[in-house]
Amino acid sequence: MSLCLSGIRSLPKFWKSNPCLGLSPGHSSYLSLRVYCGIRNQQRWFSLKTMCPQDTKSRNLLITKARYLRKDEGSNKQVSSDFPHLFAAGAAKKRSQMNPQSKDHALPPVRNAIQVPTKPLNSEEWDKLKEEFKGKTSFENWISSQMARCHSSVDVAKSLLAWVAAKNNGIVGYDLLVRYLYLCVFHKQTSEVIDVYEIMKARYKSLESGGYSLLIRGLSHSDRWRESLLLLEDIKKVITPSKKNYNDCIQGALLHQDVNTAWHLYQELLGHDLIPLLETLKAFFDFGKDIKDDHYSNKLLDILLYLRNNQLYPGESFAHSIKTWFESVPGKQWKGQFTTIQKSGQCLGCGRTIEPIHLSPEEYEFLKGKIMKDVIDGGDQYKKTTPQELKRFENFVKSSPPFDIVIDGLNVAKMFPKARESKVLLDVVSQLAKQNLRLLVLGRKHMLRQRSRWRKDEMEKVQKQASCFFADDISKDDPFLLYATLHSGNHCKFITKDLMRDHKACLPDAKTQRLFFKWQQGHQLAIMNRFLGSKVTFQHIFSYDTVVQTTGDSWHIPYDEDLVERYSYEVPTKWLCLHRKT
Amino acid sequence: MSIFLKMSVNVTFLRPFTRFLVPFTIHTERRNLYSRILQRYMSSKIPTLSYPNKESTSPPDQLELDGWKTTMKSSVQEDVSTVSSSKDEDPLAATRELIEMWRLLGREVPEHITEEELKTIMECASKSSKKKYLKYLYVREKMKKAKQIKKEMKAAAREEVKKAKQLETTEEDKQRNFLFLRLWERNMNIAMGWKGIQAMQFGQPLVFDMAYDNYMKRQELHNTVSQLLESEGWNRRNVDPFHIYFCNLKVDGVYYRELAKRYGEKWDKLLITTTEKSHVDLFPKDSIIYLTADSPNVMTTFKHDKIYVVGSFVDKNMQPGTSLANAKRLKLATECLPLDKYLQWDIGNKNLTLDQMMRILLCLKNNGSWEEALTFVPRRKHTGFLEISQHSQEFLHRLKIAKTFPKGPLNVHGLNEKI
Repeated sequence: MSLCLSGIRSLPKFWKSNPCLGLSPGHSSYLSLRVYCGIRNQQRWFSLKTMCPQDTKSRNLLITKARYLRKDEGSNKQVSSDFPHLFAAGAAKKRSQMNPQSKDHALPPVRNAIQVPTKPLNSEEWDKLKEEFKGKTSFENWISSQMARCHSSVDVAKSLLAWVAAKNNGIVGYDLLVRYLYLCVFHKQTSEVIDVYEIMKARYKSLESGGYSLLIRGLSHSDRWRESLLLLEDIKKVITPSKKNYNDCIQGALLHQDVNTAWHLYQELLGHDLIPLLETLKAFFDFGKDIKDDHYSNKLLDILLYLRNNQLYPGESFAHSIKTWFESVPGKQWKGQFTTIQKSGQCLGCGRTIEPIHLSPEEYEFLKGKIMKDVIDGGDQYKKTTPQELKRFENFVKSSPPFDIVIDGLNVAKMFPKARESKVLLDVVSQLAKQNLRLLVLGRKHMLRQRSRWRKDEMEKVQKQASCFFADDISKDDPFLLYATLHSGNHCKFITKDLMRDHKACLPDAKTQRLFFKWQQGHQLAIMNRFLGSKVTFQHIFSYDTVVQTTGDSWHIPYDEDLVERYSYEVPTKWLCLHRKT
Repeated sequence: MSIFLKMSVNVTFLRPFTRFLVPFTIHTERRNLYSRILQRYMSSKIPTLSYPNKESTSPPDQLELDGWKTTMKSSVQEDVSTVSSSKDEDPLAATRELIEMWRLLGREVPEHITEEELKTIMECASKSSKKKYLKYLYVREKMKKAKQIKKEMKAAAREEVKKAKQLETTEEDKQRNFLFLRLWERNMNIAMGWKGIQAMQFGQPLVFDMAYDNYMKRQELHNTVSQLLESEGWNRRNVDPFHIYFCNLKVDGVYYRELAKRYGEKWDKLLITTTEKSHVDLFPKDSIIYLTADSPNVMTTFKHDKIYVVGSFVDKNMQPGTSLANAKRLKLATECLPLDKYLQWDIGNKNLTLDQMMRILLCLKNNGSWEEALTFVPRRKHTGFLEISQHSQEFLHRLKIAKTFPKGPLNVHGLNEKI
């Protein structure tokens, strides 16, 4: 038993700090994992169970991680070397690949061995098939949904319906009819769609949204596309149509050269506060190639402004459509190319500078007020802090001159799980202090208490080199960080690795959230160090704003590549640069 | 009884729609017509049937496949004309039709729906909230139906037993001697009433803080009241009940109305104290302990001289720290149950329901150990109890001396800080 204990002794230190492992599987954590693995090999590790009760989950995670790390040490190092920017498209995906959850998605067991027929069957054959079927739902239901799933040919489905109708006095249930309609629409069998449409019109006074949607989609390509607009009206009586419904109608209208109806529907779509599908917008651009009309061009430019205001980014094919449209405008000689932007904010294609990421003074004041009102106060000051503390903080901020850098003490200190917290914090603070920056360290009061991981002498040194504000232990420190940074002015940056998504969520509307995100991109410094002791390096800050923008004779449009998965808090890295030949 | 009444209302209301609801019940003559038409098509198909299936692309086969369309179209022409005569542009009716069509499609929507529910649906802001409410109605209807069937089966079984008994001779019964009349339930109620009165006089107070009605939606409030009812029931049956206080209960507030509705006549005879005043006005501040899962302090023992406050609050809407904020505002001591210390927590919220809280507190009060008390934590939330053996306790002690082990709840809090 004594052997086991000596092995474990070094353990508590690292299980205590394992929350950090999830985010930075660096060198230091790897070392500690080796220790852990050693214990595991001795087959004594379950004696730990009593010791660290609340950490089974993280321990399991550790085990999987240890396995992973042992398996491919080399590739892990390689990944860490080209660590993408915190906000760049695909970065979160890469981060998640670094700590994989080895979960194999097993295929659900096959319940029914019946094969969906590939040829039309006659009634005897259907009868036979039905006898073979064993399941909870009715056979007709099951087989028709299977057909819809594997996109059987229309004829097979038709033979099923004929069989059902023959058994059922010529009546086919609504659900079967809808699934048949789905197949017809999928295979673009317009005449069948119209037949089903006639049947539904004859049989039912009104339909439900699924049936309507399919009919709209099917009819919009046919000559009777105007009837799809009537169906849209029918949907509107009870519920708001989906953006897909609008998309189908608009595409139908454009296909039949009815531009006014298309724009009218587009306006209606925006009026319902729906965000149009990028497909819809692309359709307008694709159609625009054949139209030489100033009015229409202006509307397309309006769409681009809509993209700008809502911080939407076109997809790759949409970007191509935009490019082709611009190049097709007669007399203006637009030239488009796909480029990237340099770190300095200059377009590699034309050399123009992209809009800086700074907020305008009005926007800045607005955001500051909103952070104070919604994130810190939030209707109940006691939730995140107390009025006394808020007062203390406000006085503190007002009395001190503006800071250059605000540091999230706890976040920085816990960066390296193996190292002592106060030491890490002191390292970072003293390195920054050498550059003559005015620092503010935000933390909690428990940091001041003498403990093994928070040494008093080191905290005193920190307090000498930087101003400090310590919140109560049960208060949230992030909101204070945000406000202190905003209060200090535009030049002030803050240091944390936290993505601040929970605070962004406290903001009331999408517009403020976008403003916050823009400000965050421009002011957040994330420490990129993977090892203790080296010089602190920060991720570079975007100097430019990733958004659709124009200078009149040029457009710069960021777009999403088809093969890159982008998370909501990341921005695209590829751009479409359009400028006029001179 | 009330269920029956409601059902009959539904039925009378639905009458104008029944014609539409059951379009498939067809008159016999018409049925003959269909089968005649169909027979025509089926007979035309017979020759093709004899051929092997390879030549399925042959024109007669195609014709046979489209046969059902004609019957579908022709068969209902008359049906529609009768329905469309009663057509109106009322959005309520349109919604009803939409729901009916959804039902035909096999969606989870109720079969019968009252005018009032229909209005609630219309008031729902978004499509998903409509669907959610419809699903709720669907599940409720299903449960009601299942209950009804069960009830009927039970009644039938009872009837049979009765018949069987009547056949037997009852003389045997008369000869037997009994000490008590069969009045168990009433006696039990009276006994519980006595105990309740004693608790009102000498019992330890337990406060339910009802200040959260603004934080809850209708459904959550409903759940809270159900949980309150259940906790009161558990308390009543206990050997040594608490003296329950409902504090901050606004007269004619939503809580009050719902409670009075659920308890009925019993509400005024309930052996608990209800007050509009706050718990800080009734008791000395330093003896109050506010129980909340967000508290940094862990409850170690049950103190018999303290007044525990439980927030009657079901939070489905992600508002963490509401009760902690309330306690902070009133400067009260807070505690949380030592769930992590005794249980291997697996999934789920650390917030427990009110009746679970009540049972745990009652168990602690009656000198139960923590292990016994925490058996009331739902099994699905944890994987088992932690046993702290003598050996590991020693080990922990040594670690504490070595100062590598975090002390107190605050350190733990700091550790959980995410990077």
